Amino acid sequence: MSDEEDQRMYEHEPEEDPIGGEQQDVEPDDEEMEETSSGKGQAKRREVYEDEEEEEEEEDDEEEEIPGRRGHKRIKRRHRHMANKFVDLEAEVSDDDEEEEEEEEMGADNFITHADDGDEEVTRRNHALLDRNFPEEDSRSPEEIARAIAGRHRDRAAPYTGDMSEIPQRLLMPSVHDASLWQIRVKVGREREIVFSLMRKAIDVEYTARPLSILSAFQRDSLPGMIYVEARSAKQVQQACQGLVGVYLSRGIQLVPIEEMASLLLIKKQENTLTPGTWVRIRRGKYANDLAQVMDLTENGEDVGVRLVPRIDLNPRDDGGLDPLSKKRKKAAATAGTTRPPQRLFNIDEVAKVYGKSITKRSQFYVFQGETYKDGFLEKDFKFNALIVDDVNPTLDEITQFTRRDDGGEDSMVNLSAIAEASRKAAIAVLQPGDHIEIFEGEQAGVHGVVDEISGDVVTITAQGLDIEGQKMEMPARSVRKKFKPGDHVKVMAGQHADETGLVVSVADNVVTFVSDMTMQEISVFAKDLRTAAEVGTGSNIVGNYELHDLVQLDAQTVGVIFKTERDSFRVLDQNGQVRLVQPHQISMRRDSSRAIAIDSEGHELRINDNVKEVDGEGRKGRVLHTHQSFFAFLHNREIAENGGVFVTRARALASLAPKSNVLKLATSDLSKMNPALAAPSGGMVGSGAMSRGPRDRHIGLTVTVVKGPNKGYVGTIKDTNGQIARVELRTGNKIIMIDKEKLFRRLPDGKLEPLDRVNKGGGGGGGRFGNMGPPQPNPYSNSNGGSNFQGGRTPFGAVGRTPNPYADGGKTPAWNASSRTPNPYNDSGKTPAWNASSKTPNPYGDGGRTPAWNASSRTPNTYATGSNSTGGASSGWGGATPARTGWGGATPGRATGASWSSSTGDGWGSPARTGSSTWDSSTWSAPTPAAAATPGAHLGQTPAYAAPTPVAHQTPAYVWSAPTNAATPGDAMFQSYNQSLDKDENPQLEPEWIFDNILTNYLNRLKIIIKGTKDAQYLHGDYEGRTGVVVAASRNPDDYQQTARIRFDNGEERSVIAKYIVPQEPSKNDEEVLTLAGKHRGRPVVIREMSDDEIVVSSRQNPADIDNVATNMVVPLVEEGGR
Amino acid sequence: MALIPAQARSKTLRACLLCSLIQTPADWKKVGCPNCEEVLGLKSQPEKIAACTTTQFDGVVAVVDPDQSWVARWQRTAKYVRGMYAVRVMGRIPEEVEVALERRNIKYRPRDQTEMD
Repeated sequence: MSDEEDQRMYEHEPEEDPIGGEQQDVEPDDEEMEETSSGKGQAKRREVYEDEEEEEEEEDDEEEEIPGRRGHKRIKRRHRHMANKFVDLEAEVSDDDEEEEEEEEMGADNFITHADDGDEEVTRRNHALLDRNFPEEDSRSPEEIARAIAGRHRDRAAPYTGDMSEIPQRLLMPSVHDASLWQIRVKVGREREIVFSLMRKAIDVEYTARPLSILSAFQRDSLPGMIYVEARSAKQVQQACQGLVGVYLSRGIQLVPIEEMASLLLIKKQENTLTPGTWVRIRRGKYANDLAQVMDLTENGEDVGVRLVPRIDLNPRDDGGLDPLSKKRKKAAATAGTTRPPQRLFNIDEVAKVYGKSITKRSQFYVFQGETYKDGFLEKDFKFNALIVDDVNPTLDEITQFTRRDDGGEDSMVNLSAIAEASRKAAIAVLQPGDHIEIFEGEQAGVHGVVDEISGDVVTITAQGLDIEGQKMEMPARSVRKKFKPGDHVKVMAGQHADETGLVVSVADNVVTFVSDMTMQEISVFAKDLRTAAEVGTGSNIVGNYELHDLVQLDAQTVGVIFKTERDSFRVLDQNGQVRLVQPHQISMRRDSSRAIAIDSEGHELRINDNVKEVDGEGRKGRVLHTHQSFFAFLHNREIAENGGVFVTRARALASLAPKSNVLKLATSDLSKMNPALAAPSGGMVGSGAMSRGPRDRHIGLTVTVVKGPNKGYVGTIKDTNGQIARVELRTGNKIIMIDKEKLFRRLPDGKLEPLDRVNKGGGGGGGRFGNMGPPQPNPYSNSNGGSNFQGGRTPFGAVGRTPNPYADGGKTPAWNASSRTPNPYNDSGKTPAWNASSKTPNPYGDGGRTPAWNASSRTPNTYATGSNSTGGASSGWGGATPARTGWGGATPGRATGASWSSSTGDGWGSPARTGSSTWDSSTWSAPTPAAAATPGAHLGQTPAYAAPTPVAHQTPAYVWSAPTNAATPGDAMFQSYNQSLDKDENPQLEPEWIFDNILTNYLNRLKIIIKGTKDAQYLHGDYEGRTGVVVAASRNPDDYQQTARIRFDNGEERSVIAKYIVPQEPSKNDEEVLTLAGKHRGRPVVIREMSDDEIVVSSRQNPADIDNVATNMVVPLVEEGGR
Repeated sequence: MALIPAQARSKTLRACLLCSLIQTPADWKKVGCPNCEEVLGLKSQPEKIAACTTTQFDGVVAVVDPDQSWVARWQRTAKYVRGMYAVRVMGRIPEEVEVALERRNIKYRPRDQTEMD
C-alpha cells in the first residue's frame, strides 16, 4: 500500500470530517465564546482557585463513576464554566486594577492586550447572557441544555490548567495497572508515518464495530526501525497494526519490560545547544563544511545567525555585458557547478573593483548581492538543520581566520577562550581521576577539588579548602576545568605544543602560560591540554623515521647525530662539530653504527654505549653514541648542556672509563684483533654496554666430513661453532657431536673434501672481490672445476648478503681500520684472512694459465676491468678519508681516475690487467683486491651505480642484465661485459645481433662473415646461404624495424641482410688476426696462437704472452688490414 | 481532538513548546493550540506560532486514549486532547508566557527533558 492509499484509508474526506464540520457549524458561536472566555474570566479563576479545587475533587469522584471519556470531559468543562460565570460576578471589582497593572507590566504584548480589549464588553455580555439564559435553561430538557452547552463550549479554548505539573515525574512511573508497551519492528525511516497512520486509523475506526484498543503509539528518532504501541495485549497491537505498510508484524511483537518503559521516553539525543560563539559548520551549499561562528539564535533555536568567511567570486566568468540579459546568463553560469571561490574576507575595495557599485553600505554593514557583510565576514542566517553542530573540531587555521581582524588587537585571549569553548565538549575526555580541577560556573563556582570519578558527563570531586574540605560532590564535567597554579610543572598533552614541558608562570582563566623546559620560551595553552608531570623533555623524540641520537647521513661527506627533535625538524651535530637544522627529507639515511669498530687511545675497541672520556683537550666524559669511519666518536653526556649533551670527538682521543681485561689488550697494530672473522667470539670489553658478539661463523651450515677420530668418515652439518669446537649434526644416527674443526673437512657436492679453513678463506678472499665486481665473477669460476666454482660462486655471495662478513661492512672492516692508521696495511697482509688465503694457496694469479679456477678469471679480463672499476669507485668514494688510498693509487694509477671506468672498452681496463699480469706477484695486485674487497658496503650505500651489484643481482644475473644497456655508465659497462662473459662462459653463443656491438665499430669493414640460417627461414629463398663476405655497414635500426647490415659478398655483390643471419666465419689458421667478442681481449684484434675444437688461444700481437682462451664462435676473423 | 497532520514526513511540522502537540503550520494558524490556546493564543498569530512552537522535536506519540494511557500521563499530556504529540520538544516558551503561567501558579515544565524530577 502506498502512502497515498494509506492516507486515504485513514483520513477523513473533507466533507465527512467531523472536526471540520463541527468547526463550521460553531463558527459564530465560537467567536462569541472566545470573547467570553477571554483573559478576564480566566484571571478571575485564579482568585477562586481554592474553591475550584474543591470542585475538582468532586469532579474526580465523578470521573470514576461516569463512563465515556468525551462526554465526561464536556460535562466537566461545563461545570467549571458555569462556576466561572458565577465567580465572574463576585470577583470582578477587585480584579480590574490588577488587570491594568498587568497590562502595564506586559507593555505592548499583543496577547494580553488582545485579551483585555473586550474587557468591559465581555463582562457586560456575560451578564446579559446569564440573565437571559437562566430562565431559558430551566424550561428546556436536561438533554437539550447539555447539548446546547456542549455545542457552545466545544471549541472554545479550554482553560489551561497546566499539565499535572505538580506531580513529580518519578511518581508517574508505570505501574502494573498500566497498559504495557509493545515493541514492533517497522521499516526504517517510516516510523513516524506509521505512528501517524495508527492515529488516523484509530480515529477512523473509532465508532465502527471494531475500534482500536490501543492507547497510544510512539516512535523515537534515536530508535530507528521500531515503534512502540501501548495496549493491554499483544493481540490488540496486532489488530491495530494489521494492514499498515512497513510494519513487520512477522518479526514479532515484543513486550517492553515495565522498568524500561520510562527510559524509552527519556532517551535524549546528544544535546546540541547552540550558544552564541559556538563553532559550527555549514552542511551544504557554497559554504559546505566551512567553519562558522554562531552570532545569535532565534528563541526556538531554528534559525541561527552565523558569521563566516565569505567566498566571493572575484573573477566572475562573464566579462561584463551590462544588459540585463547577459547578467542573467552570468548568474546561471556561476551557479552551474563551478568550483567555489576561495575563502576570503570581504574587502570592499576588491569587491567594488569587480562588481562595481552593487554594494550598499548601511552603517557598519555592507550589503552585497543580498548578503550582509560586516568586518569582512559574511553574516547570514541558517536553519539549524543546515548546520553541522557535532564534531566541528575547528582547526587552529580556521579559527585564526576569524581572529585575523584582531591583528594587533588586544583581545586574543578572548579568542583563545572561544576556541576553548569550541572544544569544551572534548574537555570531558581530558579529565582524569586525580586531576586538580576548579569549578568555574554554577553555584559551586570557585571550588577546587580533585577528580575522584568520572561517569559520562558527571565528575565526582572531592572538594578542597574552606569548610567543605573533603566533601564529595558531583559536577557536570563541562563546569569544571583543570586547575594549575604558578610553579606547577606541566606537560602539554595535545595541540601544537604537545609534549612540551615547563613551569607554569601564570594562569588566566583557562589559559595557562608556562616556560618551556626546552626552549625557555613562554607558551600559552589551554588548561585542558595540560597535565601536571614530573618529567622533563620534549616527550616524543621521533620525527618521521628518525629518532633522537640517531646517526644520520646528511650528504656523502657528512654524517651527524640528532641531538634535538623539534616539531618537524632536527638539530644535528655533524662530525665536524657543526650544528645543523635539518628537515627529515634532508636526511638521506640513518646509519647503523652498532657494528662499527673504532679503537680508542689505548687500542681497545670502542663500542657503542661504552663510557669513555677524552684523554686530552677538555677531558669530557660521555657515553659513546656512535662511531663514524673509525675516527669520529659521538658521545653523549647529560651534564653537558650544549647541544643536548651530544658532542663529537676523535675516537683515538678517548679512553675507556671501565677497566679492561688484559687478555684482550692487544697491540694496536694487530689487526686480527679487529677482524671479527678471526676474533674468537668470546669476551668483550668489560663494562662495555654492548659485548662484542662476534660474527656468525661462516662454517655454520657447511656440510663436512669428519676426517679424524672415532667418527671419521661421517658426514654432517655444522650447526654451531665455539672457537675451534664445532657442533656437527651427523647425517647418520641423528646425532650431534662436538668436534674440533681441525678434524673436519668440507664436503663438496661432488664428494670431494677440502680443508675447512681453505674453503672459508678462499671464499672470503673471493667474496671480497665478488662484493665489488659482482656479476662477472661467478662466470670464470663456473667454467672451471666444480670445486672452486662452488666455493667461488656461493660462499662469497653468502658472505655478502647473509653473514656478517667483515667485508660487507665497508668502512668498518679492519682493512679500513688499518688503512686509516698505517700507510700500507697490506704489508701486514698475512693477518687478514684474504691474505692468509692467498698466501696459503699457490699464488693464483701467478698460476693463472694453468689452474682452471684462476684460469677462468684470467680468461675474463673484464672481471678485472670491473674490478678496477669498482676500485676506482671505491677510492673516489672514500675520498681523502683514508691515507691508504694514496698507496693504492700509486700502485694502480689507472684505477684512481674516473676516466678508467667511463671508457668501458678502452685500454683503461686493459692496462691494469696487463700491469697485473706482468708484475704478477707484486703487491700491486695484492693491494687493490682487498681494497675492493673492503668496500662493498660503501658501494652499496653510497652510489647508485653500486647499488646494482647487490647479491640479488648476482644470483639472477641473466634476467637483470640481458637487456642491452648503454655503455656510458660504469655500471652498465660492467653489465655488458657480464653479459658477454655470461654468453661465453655458460653457453658460448653469439647474440643474433652481435654485429651491432659497439666494440666492433672500428673493425666493421674488416669482419669476415658468412650467411647462415637463411635456408631454414627461406630468407631470400636461401640463395645466399653459405656465402661469405665482409660487412660494409651496420648500424642499429630503431627497435620496430628489422635489424639489417650491409654486406659485400666475395663476388662483389652488395646488399642488406638481416643481421641475425650474419655470423662470423670460422677462423681457419693460426696467426690469423681475429677480433674476440669475449674474454680478456674482447673488442680488440688479436692473433690466434693455437686452435682446438671449440677453443682458441689468442694473444695480442704486441704482447704474445698475454694469452686468453676464447670459444671459437666468439671470434671474428678479420680481413688483413689494407687487404680488402 | 486535535488535527492530525496529513504528512508525517513533513519537515514543517511544529510542536507546541507548552503541550508538545504536533500540527502543521497551517493548522496552527487556523485553530491554534487546542490545549493551550487560552494561554498562548496562537490562532492567526504567525509570530506567536513561530515563538511558541518549534520544528525541533524528537519522537512522535499518537495519543489515542489520553485518559488511560500511561505514555500520555508520563508525557503529561493526559489531560490534553487526543492527537499527535512530540516526546521531546527543544526550546522554551517565551518568557512572557512563562511569567503568565507563573502568575496563575502553574509550574512550567520545559518539554526538552532537561528538568526532570
